[in-house]
Amino acid sequence: MRRAVYLDYAASSPLHPEVAAAMAICLGPQGPHANPSAGHAEGRRAAEAIEQARASVAGLIGARPESILFTSGATESDNLAILGACRAKANHGGHVVTSRVEHRAVIDAFRQLEREGFQVSWLKPTADGRIDPAQVEAALRPETLLVSVMHGNNETGVMNEVAAIGAICRAREVLLHVDAAQSAGRVPVDVAGWNADLVAFTAHKLGGPKGIGALYVRPLPRPVLQPLQFGGGQEHGLRSGTLATHQAVGFGVACRIAAADLMTEATRVRALREKLWRLLQPAAPLWRNGGGEPSLPGILNVGFAGIEGESLLLDLEGAVCASSGSACNAASAEPSYVLRALGLSDLGCQASLRLSVGRFTAERDVDEAAGAILHALERLRGMAPPGALERVR
Amino acid sequence: MTGVARYSEAVRRLFTTAPRSGFLPDGPGARRHGEAMALDRAAWVRFDLRLHEGRVADARFRAWGCPHLIAACALVAERMVGQTPAEAVVLDPVALARELAAPPEKLGRFLVLEDALHGLAAGMREAQ
Repeated sequence: MRRAVYLDYAASSPLHPEVAAAMAICLGPQGPHANPSAGHAEGRRAAEAIEQARASVAGLIGARPESILFTSGATESDNLAILGACRAKANHGGHVVTSRVEHRAVIDAFRQLEREGFQVSWLKPTADGRIDPAQVEAALRPETLLVSVMHGNNETGVMNEVAAIGAICRAREVLLHVDAAQSAGRVPVDVAGWNADLVAFTAHKLGGPKGIGALYVRPLPRPVLQPLQFGGGQEHGLRSGTLATHQAVGFGVACRIAAADLMTEATRVRALREKLWRLLQPAAPLWRNGGGEPSLPGILNVGFAGIEGESLLLDLEGAVCASSGSACNAASAEPSYVLRALGLSDLGCQASLRLSVGRFTAERDVDEAAGAILHALERLRGMAPPGALERVR
Repeated sequence: MTGVARYSEAVRRLFTTAPRSGFLPDGPGARRHGEAMALDRAAWVRFDLRLHEGRVADARFRAWGCPHLIAACALVAERMVGQTPAEAVVLDPVALARELAAPPEKLGRFLVLEDALHGLAAGMREAQ
């Protein structure tokens, strides 16, 4: 039986077979099993494997290896960057800037800062879902410590002009943190060109394993961070804990693969996304949430009039794996705060579906998924009371 | 963003097959309908009935909402057939939610279903 078409790459990418093979060798009897902090030969072998991986991870974003810290994922990287930087500079002032459409890992870190007495300026996105650099500039104060803006949005795929924001921050000597979880490995990321001080990303969005991420920390001048966890002093004392060699190796291989054909793959994936959008046109009335360039190549967020997202997802079960626009966190049925920030009604959020294509998506997958979605929409709209098509949007 | 939540077997079956959804076919007897909508609770329900010789001869529903609501409407419409009009509009939303293993946050949608039945009852009283 053919498996459901996987169109949820924005949530997580399948592990690349080469990554799985490299990790399996690492975990096998001949693999570098020792603690990479150990001074003996086996320890050094594990440490070398990690340093090779670090170089590959750094290479993906145009950084030097020593500027990469391994973490458990983008959530930890975001938390370490935001809380670590602000707590370290707390005596220099307490104002920080972020937006209303960041990932929860960022939003909740800033909420924690608010509880700790920091003042947070929450920027509203423009109608197309972007943070205007001029908004950032206007929000800065003499005592501003940090600005945090995501590169590509996880729900809509719209991308911010991070380099322009970085230039503003650098001119005002304000730290810039960028959540690049969705963009690293999918579009070019140039941390030096951005003037970014801290950049968070993760392995499992780019074909690597879950459970490992990275935080880029600008080398010169290196921002001071206060660690969130304490222990053996690994990762420059900022992230204590024995490094998972197999995870790091997997992350490194995934970054190497992603870097090798970044532009070709981005072009192919973008074409698939646009084909999917075209194939869905018979389902009008429909709309695209956060369309327009620049955008991440793989994300299509689309709303269908007269549709309730949870029912659409269940109707698609077995045919298409996707995410509804109802929430960003699995336990909640609240409408997406990102789509609401774009001005969408609660009904419009509920009628929205995020479809995300990626490395292993083929033309046939897009054709099949579009067919299944059109079929589900016809059935659900046929079941809805007269007037739902006009009222629910 | 969410994935697909967990559903009971009954909800899956009723949602997937959606028996008695759609338009009421022609037939002998009087047609009645009841409708209720609470878009803020993500629920919109309509029942269409055909009454013949003092009983519900046929019933159909239309619904916009979550799988639990659609399944509940299908179940209610199934059970209406053969009942007297008075019996057809009686519903215990809490018991129905329990029967379908619906999570507590879905109860508000079942109350909208109940409102649609109240509308149906009012329409039938008016017709008498």
